[in-house]
Amino acid sequence: MDKVLDYNSPTNSRTKLGVYIHIPFCRQKCLYCDFPSRADGESSFQDYTAALCREIAGKGGVLSSHVIDSIYFGGGTPTVLPVNNLVRIIDCLCGCAQVASDAEISIEANPGTLNSENSAALHAAGVNRISIGVQAFDDRLLALAGRIHSAAEAVRAVSEAAAGGFDNISVDLMFGLPGQTKVDFETSLRQAVKLPVSHISAYGLKLEEGTPFHRLQAAGELELPDEEEEAAMYDLATDFLPQHGFERYEISNYALAGSECRHNLKYWRYLPYLGLGAAAHSFIAGQRQANVVADCEYIRRIFAGEDAVEYREVPEPAVAIAEYVFLALRTVQGLAFQEFASRFGLSFTDRFAGIIEKLAGDGLIAVERGSVRLTVQGMRFGNIVFASFLPD
Amino acid sequence: MDTANIRNFSIIAHIDHGKSTLADRLLEYTGTLSSREMEEQVLDQMDLERERGITIKAQAVRLEYTAKDGKTYMLNLIDTPGHVDFTYEVSRSLAACEGALLVVDAAQGIEAQTLANVYLALEHDLEIITVINKIDLPSADPDKVKHEIEEVIGLDTADAVLVSAKTGFGVEAVLEAVVTKIPAPKGSADAPLKALIFDSHFDPYKGVIVYVRVMEGRIFPGMKIKMMATDKKFEVNEVGFFRPAQTIVAELGPGQVGFIAASIKNVKDTRVGDTVTDADCPVAEPLPGYRRVTSMVYCGLYPVESTEYESLRDALEKLQLNDASLLFEPETSIALGFGFRCGFLGLLHMDVVKERLEREYNLSLITTAPNVIYHVYKTDGEMIVIENPSRLPTPQEIDHIEEPYVKAMVIVPNDFVGSVMELSQEKRGEFKDMKYLDTTRVMLTYHLPLSEIIYDYFDRLKSSTRGYASLDYELIGYQESNLTKLDIMLNGDPVDALSAIVHCDKALFRGRLLVEKLRGIIPRQMFEIPIQAAIGNKVIARETVRAMRKDVLAKCYGGDISRKRKLLEKQKEGKKRMKQVGNVEIPQEAFMAILKMD
Repeated sequence: MDKVLDYNSPTNSRTKLGVYIHIPFCRQKCLYCDFPSRADGESSFQDYTAALCREIAGKGGVLSSHVIDSIYFGGGTPTVLPVNNLVRIIDCLCGCAQVASDAEISIEANPGTLNSENSAALHAAGVNRISIGVQAFDDRLLALAGRIHSAAEAVRAVSEAAAGGFDNISVDLMFGLPGQTKVDFETSLRQAVKLPVSHISAYGLKLEEGTPFHRLQAAGELELPDEEEEAAMYDLATDFLPQHGFERYEISNYALAGSECRHNLKYWRYLPYLGLGAAAHSFIAGQRQANVVADCEYIRRIFAGEDAVEYREVPEPAVAIAEYVFLALRTVQGLAFQEFASRFGLSFTDRFAGIIEKLAGDGLIAVERGSVRLTVQGMRFGNIVFASFLPD
Repeated sequence: MDTANIRNFSIIAHIDHGKSTLADRLLEYTGTLSSREMEEQVLDQMDLERERGITIKAQAVRLEYTAKDGKTYMLNLIDTPGHVDFTYEVSRSLAACEGALLVVDAAQGIEAQTLANVYLALEHDLEIITVINKIDLPSADPDKVKHEIEEVIGLDTADAVLVSAKTGFGVEAVLEAVVTKIPAPKGSADAPLKALIFDSHFDPYKGVIVYVRVMEGRIFPGMKIKMMATDKKFEVNEVGFFRPAQTIVAELGPGQVGFIAASIKNVKDTRVGDTVTDADCPVAEPLPGYRRVTSMVYCGLYPVESTEYESLRDALEKLQLNDASLLFEPETSIALGFGFRCGFLGLLHMDVVKERLEREYNLSLITTAPNVIYHVYKTDGEMIVIENPSRLPTPQEIDHIEEPYVKAMVIVPNDFVGSVMELSQEKRGEFKDMKYLDTTRVMLTYHLPLSEIIYDYFDRLKSSTRGYASLDYELIGYQESNLTKLDIMLNGDPVDALSAIVHCDKALFRGRLLVEKLRGIIPRQMFEIPIQAAIGNKVIARETVRAMRKDVLAKCYGGDISRKRKLLEKQKEGKKRMKQVGNVEIPQEAFMAILKMD
C-alpha cells in the first residue's frame, strides 16, 4: 500500500514514485483521439528513444531520491516502437534509479501491434502488465472508429500476451461509439470476460475538439447512440462486470481483486509521478509540470541540453485541495478524512460542510465513518460533485 | 471674455449620421486636441460608448476658433446622445445652448430621431444650422435631403452646410456658420449668479463635479453658492472647463459653460436642471427647469450570488451619481431573493446600465424581463401603480388596467409600408397618419402600447424592412387594455420573477412560446423539470426538460490533471451564471426569454 507523501520534504527517505513514459507514435490515428501522438513518426523512433534515455539520465536528482514502484508506457501506441527500443528505455531507467523488485511495469498496446514475439520480449524485459486497447470486439465499430485492427486480432492479441507470459492483462472497451447499441456493447463485455484478462477499463466516448469525430459531429455526419442508449451501456458495464468478478474500483475501471492498476491509482491518490517524453505530465512535490508536446521539439531540446518542460504550475492550496478531492472521489474507496487532514492540515468535513450537506442531500455522495465516497448516482454525475469542490 | 465672442451649441442627429465624427473633426480643426491626442469618438469616454458607437453621456468641450472676421471665439460644444432612450439628456444639453447643428446623413436623409431631436431643439428656441454629412458617399444626394428637410421640418436649407466629417471637408464652413448664425449668449457679469446645471458626475477625489451653463453673473473659487431646488450651500473650490480634459480657470462668466467642484458629497444635492446662485446674494427666481426624467421601463436586477446584494447596491448608487435618470428601489422576489426594481429610460439604457454594472463593478446579475408601468384601477376605487408584474392584484380585485401608449413615428421606404402596417396592426397599434417625405419615403404615425415596443416591435420592424425603418416614439398617456398576468411554474412552483403582464388575446400564444423557449434555455438536470404557463389557476401550456442521464469525465488518466480541472472549472463557471430557484438551476437568460420569442 502506498503511503501518503509529505511533499514538503521530497528527499524523505526514498519515497515511492511512479514513472510515466510517453510514446507519441501510432500506426494510425483513431478518429476520436486527441492524445499527443502521430502516425508518421517512424523516422524519429531512434532519436526519440535516445532522447528519452538522455532525459532519464538528466533526472538523477529526483530518481535517486525515490524508489520507482510503477512504470507506465503510454501513448500513442508504445508497442509501435521496436521492442529493443522499449527494452533500452527500461534498462536505462533501471540503471539510473532504484526500481522496486515488485514494481508494476505496464505498457499500452494496440492489438494490431502485438504478437507473440514482442509480448515475450517485453515480458522478458520485466514488463508485467499489458493494457490492450481493444475498444470493441466488433469489426464494424472498430472500422467506424478508425481502429487498425479487427475483433479477431484483438482476441488473438490477448491470447498471445498471455502466451508470452503476461498474467496481468487489461483491455480497454469503449461505449457510446458511433453505430454502437447496448447489445453490441454487451457482446464486447461478454467477449472480454471470457479472455484471460484481470482488468477492464470501460469508458464512454467523449468528442474532443480537433478530432475527426468532432468535425463529423459538427457537420451532422456522426451517428452516435442517443443518450438513453449510451446511459444504458454505462449501466450495463457497472452491472455486468462486477457480476463477472471485475469489481469497480474507479469510475471507469474494473479489476479482479488485487489487479487494480497501481500506476493509475497514483493519479487518483495524489501520489507523485514523473513523466518522461514529449507531452508527459509530472506531479512531484506538489508541482505539476508537462513537457513540450511536439516530439521533434522534445528531441531537439533534450539534445540541445535545454529543458523539455513547457508548463509548470504549483496549484494554490485551494486548487490543490479541489484536485485532491475530485481525484480521490473517482475511486470507489473515496476520500479518507484522516488522509486529507494529514496532507492539508484541515478537516474535510469542516471545510466543505455546506457542499457536503448539499451533495449528500442530492444523493450524490455518501458520508461514512472516516470517509466520503460517490454513490451510484454520484458516479453517474461525477462532474457535478467534482466541480462543486473547486474554489470560486 | 466678452459674451459677444462666445457660442454655445449642440450637435443633434439620428444615430449613425456622424455626430461623434463631426465632433472629433471640430476638435481637431480648432487644435483643441493635437492629432496625437485624437482618437476616434474622443468625446465618448466610456468603453461602452466606443464599442457600441453610441453616445450615452452628454459631454461639454470648449474650442477656440479664430474666425474669418479675425476674432477669436470661445465655442462650447455640448455633445448629446442620439438614441431615443436618451432624449432626456439631449433636452438637458439643449437648454444650455443657443444653437444646434442638425446633422443629417446625405445618403439616408431624415430619420425618426432627426425629427424628434429637431422638435426638441425648436422647443428650446435654438438657432438650427443644417449640416448635411457624408457627402463623400457615392449614394449621397444632398439636394434630395435638403428638399426633405424643407418639406418635413420646414427649415430653410439655403444655407445648409455640406460636410464630410470623414474627410474633413466643410468643417471650416461649419465653424463659420456657428460663429455667424448662432446668437451670442446674453447676460451680465455683474448680475447675481444664475447658472443652469445640465449634468454632473462623481469624482472620487473632488466630489460631485457639476456641469453648468452660466446665464448671469460669475462664479469663482471661494464663492458661496446655493442650489435653489435643494437649498444646499457649498463653497466653490474650483471652476474650469473641458478641453476635453478638465482645465481649471479663475472664473466662469456669463454665457460660459464649464464645471464647478465644491466638495459636494452627494449627487442628490445637485439636481440636474436646478439653478445655482450666489448664496449671499441669491436671485429670486430659478431658471425654468426642463422635462423631468420619466422611467419608461422597469426591470428587476438581482445578484446571482445573494452575498453580492450590498455590492450591487453600492454599484447602483455609484452609477446613479453619473446617471440621474437611473431609478432603483429594493425589492424581494420569492425566486430571486433580494434585489432592486430599477427604472430606465428605455431598453438601451437598461442594457447599458446592466453591462456597466457587470463590467465596471464585476457583478454577476439576473435581469428580469423589462415591463412598463401599469395603472391598475381596483374595484374599491383605488388606483395603484404596478412596476412589477408579480405584484398585480388578483383578477377579483381589478376593475380595469391601463397601460402606457406612445406615439410612434416610423420612417420607411414606401415598399415597406405594407409590412410596417401589418406589424403595427399585430402589435395593437392604431393608425394615425401617413405622410410622403418624398416620392419614395413615407412617415407613418401610430399609437402603440409601449409594452409592444419593448417586446419586439423594434427588432421586427428592422427585420421586416431590411433595416431601413427608423423609429422614434414619445409617451402620450395611458389607455385601458384587456390585460392579464401570465405565471410560469418550474417543477410545480411558481417563479415570480418570470411573471409577465400580457394582453388577453395573446396570453395563450405567448404562454406556449415562453415555455417552449424556457425548455431550450434551462439546462437538463438530474431530474425531470416540468415547465408550465398558467393564467390564474389554469395551466395553458406545458413542456418538460428531460432529466440528464449522466455527466462524468470518463477517462481520467495519463496524468494530465490540469486539463481535467479546467474542464471542471468551465462547468463550475457555467453554473455561476445560473440562479438556483428551489432545486432548479436557471440561467440568466431565462428571465429575459419572454422578450426573445421569434
